Amino acid sequence: MIDSKLKEKAAFAILLAATIIVIAPVALILAIILINGLPALSFEFLFSIPRDGMRGGGIFPALVGTFYLIVGTALFAIPFGILAAIYLNEYAQRNRLTRAIELAIINLSGVPSIVYGLFGLSLFVEFLGFGASILAGSLTLAIMTLPVIITATREALSAVPRSFREVSFSLGASRWQTVRGVVLPNAIPGILTGTILGLSRAAGETAPILFTVAAFYLPKLPTSVYDQAMALPYHIYVLSTQVPNVSVKVQYGTVLVLVGMIFILNIVASYIRSYFRKKKTW
Amino acid sequence: MFLVLIMFLSSGCARGNKAIQIKGSDTMVNLAEAWTEKFMEKYPESAVAVTGGGSGGGIASLISGTTDIAKASRDMHHKEILLANRRGVYPLELQVASDGVVVVVNPANPINKLTIKELSDIYTRKVKNWRELGGPDRQIVALSRERNSGTHVFFLETVVKLGQKKNPNEFAADVLMMPSSQAVVEEVISNKSAIGYIGLGYLNNRQKALAVGKDKRGPFFLPNIATVKKGEYPISRSLLFYTNGTPEARVQRFIDFVLSPDGQEIVKTMDFVPIK
Repeated sequence: MIDSKLKEKAAFAILLAATIIVIAPVALILAIILINGLPALSFEFLFSIPRDGMRGGGIFPALVGTFYLIVGTALFAIPFGILAAIYLNEYAQRNRLTRAIELAIINLSGVPSIVYGLFGLSLFVEFLGFGASILAGSLTLAIMTLPVIITATREALSAVPRSFREVSFSLGASRWQTVRGVVLPNAIPGILTGTILGLSRAAGETAPILFTVAAFYLPKLPTSVYDQAMALPYHIYVLSTQVPNVSVKVQYGTVLVLVGMIFILNIVASYIRSYFRKKKTW
Repeated sequence: MFLVLIMFLSSGCARGNKAIQIKGSDTMVNLAEAWTEKFMEKYPESAVAVTGGGSGGGIASLISGTTDIAKASRDMHHKEILLANRRGVYPLELQVASDGVVVVVNPANPINKLTIKELSDIYTRKVKNWRELGGPDRQIVALSRERNSGTHVFFLETVVKLGQKKNPNEFAADVLMMPSSQAVVEEVISNKSAIGYIGLGYLNNRQKALAVGKDKRGPFFLPNIATVKKGEYPISRSLLFYTNGTPEARVQRFIDFVLSPDGQEIVKTMDFVPIK
């Protein structure tokens, strides 16, 4: 018989090793990006237009384009996502329609992003005639992000204890009053976290914007939602595959900016979560 | 509600001072970028958006009305023109540059002409010695450009794959990948056994350009601006712009710039062949 303390130690060692193996690639990727990308970062790199066949200058139009796309995606995805989740969680009867909708949402979250891109191309760019534009790109990204937002919101809503609703009903509040006054305020942190994580995924996607908005080179900032725009993920793709002789520094610098942007969004999300968790009284 | 919103947005689709959109050929995407950069230096109030997607993608965008200019490194197919006409689009073709790839060897090499097939054999290493082609008994050192070069792709498709889309030929593993046309030039000048390919603009009298023929019977053509422009030289193609009918003034101004001496000078620096 091996003594139980030794077993405990062995199990602990294996679990630790597994964790390290899992995070090592992430740490390595981050380290490589930081080491190679940091020397490229400068005020000029962030805030000037690409020059010399995109081998020099900065990435400002791509940075602004990605920012607009995040805002556009948020505008379309957040209201519809949260409203749909409220309906499904608080109002919908458990019937065949509801189950069909739930199944559809699960399936939507499994659709490959390139399929969203092609869908956006045929619906928004061509059928509705938006052309390749920020509008078409934002709508495409929004549809891709919806399942994430709906699922996160539903989880946040379900996490609000049933007794809260019962108390509200017993005081004579209607269903909507209950949702607005009791359920939503308690679910907000979870909703925000899920939403931000969904948006940060949208920010890094290339396939959905490939046909719907991304320009290879457009040195002006967009002036309307019908304009094309450059975007960071596509710019990285272009720099590493289409433009010959781009210095490694510029490529890593661009990657670092995108990763940094997503990193900041994720940190905001986890900060919101921990802030509200501390305030939680139940 | 969603639909109402979308309808509202599509009704607001009035396009004011929009960017000139240029979509299509990935071969031409860096050339178009270079034109745009200089064009916007000259006319700072204008805006030009360059997008890749391949010649087919550009032509599809022209047909669906989502681009002003389709750039293409091949002619429009008959089917595409019919489809365009049915949609009320009447493509107007304009040649803006040519693409001609020169095969070069060291001047000491007695070989003067090769067929596409022989070149393909060299780059797939089926032929490894100059002797097999009637030259001296020396191992062939085959030089290529790196994969991210448009010239590499064009040479692969036209020569190595013999112009057949489904041909499985690839560059052999021991073909040397050089980082730039200049590097190919230097190696060919200093290495008697080397063979390489470069854009026509890089050719000088310290290397020997080979005449290339479609097959043994010939005719063989030496690469120069005239044979490339006429399409006689086999490793060449036209680089085209397609517009829907006569373009509007803001688009025409860009096309005029492309055809101007300044625009054609850019063609040369980007390793393509000017048409003027």
